Amino acid sequence: MRRIRALWRWRRVGMSALLIGVGSVAGWLSPGTRAYPAALIAASVVAGGSIARRAAAGLRNRRVGIEALVTVAATGAILLGEVWEAAAVTFLFQAGDALEQITLRRTRRALTDLVEMVPTTAVVLRDGEQVEVPASRVVAGEQVLVKPGARIPVDGAVTEGHAWADESSVTGESTPVAKEAGDVVYAGTVTTGGLLTVEATATGRDTTLARIIARVEEAQEDKAPAQRFIEKFGRWYTPAVAVMAALAFGITRDTHLALTLLVIGCPGALVISIPVSIVAGIGRAAREGILIKGGEHLETAARVDTVAFDKTGTLTTGEPQVTEVVPLATDIDVDEVLAYAASVEQLSEHPLAEPVVAAASLRGLPLRGVSDFDQHAGRGVSAQVDDLTVAVGSERLMADMGVDVPQTAKEFVDQSAADGKTPLLVAVGGRVVGAVATADTLRPGAGAAISKLRQSGIRRIVMLTGDDRRVAQRVAELTGVDAVVAEQLPEDKLPAIRDLQRSATVAMVGDGVNDAPALAAADLGVALGRAATAVAAETADIAVLSDRVEAIGDALFLARATALNLRQNVVVSIATVGLLLAGVLAGQVHMAGGMLIHQLSVLAVIANATRLLRLRLPRSVDRRCRATMMGGDPVARPRDVVA
Amino acid sequence: MSVTTNTVLRSDEFTCPSCVEKIERKLHSLPGVVSAQVHFATGRIEVDHDSEAASVEDLVEAVAQTGYRAAPQAF
Repeated sequence: MRRIRALWRWRRVGMSALLIGVGSVAGWLSPGTRAYPAALIAASVVAGGSIARRAAAGLRNRRVGIEALVTVAATGAILLGEVWEAAAVTFLFQAGDALEQITLRRTRRALTDLVEMVPTTAVVLRDGEQVEVPASRVVAGEQVLVKPGARIPVDGAVTEGHAWADESSVTGESTPVAKEAGDVVYAGTVTTGGLLTVEATATGRDTTLARIIARVEEAQEDKAPAQRFIEKFGRWYTPAVAVMAALAFGITRDTHLALTLLVIGCPGALVISIPVSIVAGIGRAAREGILIKGGEHLETAARVDTVAFDKTGTLTTGEPQVTEVVPLATDIDVDEVLAYAASVEQLSEHPLAEPVVAAASLRGLPLRGVSDFDQHAGRGVSAQVDDLTVAVGSERLMADMGVDVPQTAKEFVDQSAADGKTPLLVAVGGRVVGAVATADTLRPGAGAAISKLRQSGIRRIVMLTGDDRRVAQRVAELTGVDAVVAEQLPEDKLPAIRDLQRSATVAMVGDGVNDAPALAAADLGVALGRAATAVAAETADIAVLSDRVEAIGDALFLARATALNLRQNVVVSIATVGLLLAGVLAGQVHMAGGMLIHQLSVLAVIANATRLLRLRLPRSVDRRCRATMMGGDPVARPRDVVA
Repeated sequence: MSVTTNTVLRSDEFTCPSCVEKIERKLHSLPGVVSAQVHFATGRIEVDHDSEAASVEDLVEAVAQTGYRAAPQAF
């Protein structure tokens, strides 16, 4: 249907071109006959008919639009006998408009593609039978069958089956994610490898994808102050040109000049210069799983020269893991050290307890029963295991418990701390028998994110963290961060950002846990992660919808590229409007020429914006950070160095 | 009792924002239309209307009368 209509437009354009051609040939073969003017008037009518219809619709709604001006100009030209001008102006107007529609559709396409990713029908189980129903008619709680290779029609939770899901339409991340009973799946994502039964939780407008699309569109429609100004200007420009045309005629009696002024009465390129760039840029970002919340943030992103990361949850996962377990006595092995530590830690609520217990269970070590459990705030834990006192914690704890710390243990503690790890000593029966080191793990792509930020021109990258200075320093070295502000309490982050802002425009990147105020205070707040709390996503100006920290670099790159694109468009279109007006008033530009330049400038602006859709993202140069984990595997092999 | 529904139409024929006001005024002139907003950037036309007085087809027809084709969108 849409095709047919587009074809009709082109037929009209083609017909008018043909008539102009035939008329010109006829005029050349037999000058002075009626064939030439007749063919050109016919061309004007073919091309101008629908312009006149739109003009009439506008006038009925009390709007003097460009269509009205073009209609008057073309009619006037015919009355003056300038049939060539009339035919050329209407032809160029239609041809330009048809081309503009096609190219604009492409810029808007980025999003409609996403809309079309959601299947329109779903297969649900009703009374044990498979029924195909419209996807929007699925009721929450119903079981939906998703065949391998199919797109999921609703948001829901898997109740049966195993499959992989490509969630790139929602998160921009194309690595498939394993899905099994209990996992959440999103409408519009593709499954492979198995049949899934999904219990529907949201359909139609309520699905995650639909809500993301709605947010993106809101952002695209959001008007930056500059755009509002230009639109106001555009509203006055057309009537002002009409008045100018009337005045020009009144003063000079030059009908041709007056009509030419009417032709250039649409500030076309100028009024669309900002929206096309914004639609293309924000749409492109959305395809990468990046939500830029409005045009105004693009300008800020372009000014940003310093990026501050809240380390935990962005550069690191915030989930510490055991990286090393070493026996420090001859009569004990790695598994026993870990088993003792985990048995006591299982009762602790300290953040480091969980990785120790997890490491033991990963190695299949049975935990022993404990009694007399005791937490020593900030130092560690202790308990009775098989009539022996077991203590797990820092050197301070050992001192408190009256346990002697041997030289080998002291060396391990110093080395671990220097490597950015947190060491725990394990004492059994009043004697240090081993040690466990834990470390926060780097997010895959953390180094790439930093290098991408540098490629897009960020001068300084700072890391804020509550962690120990040495740990922070290690993360900074591994990822390539310039400066570290360590040992920060959550409430220190806000003043730290304010401090940076004194001499720089600052973007703050956080996962939203504890850092919402800092995100809001920064010039540009960027929230990262599927887990990004609702508050952070609300406060942030840019939200990355996946856990891909690399996307932070892409987000700033795209925002800056869009801001630049937008400026180019504004400059080109202001120059065109100014030059056209000057050219017409100086008598150098005539009707057909004016229309041609005008249409070309509109197309140039759209073509420039579509570049954003094809723009290559910076490649990740991740030299500094090959290993994704600090210190190796999450559960490190025992090191035999210390005996 | 009349119930206001929110309908989203989409058109990809907008090439100049001057159409925005024209279409909005046209839609507002329909009985039963509470509010109409045309977004040039995305080609979205958002209408709050009493579907008894002004059906979705009426909205599409009104937009067509101003010279643009629009279609209702699922979500």
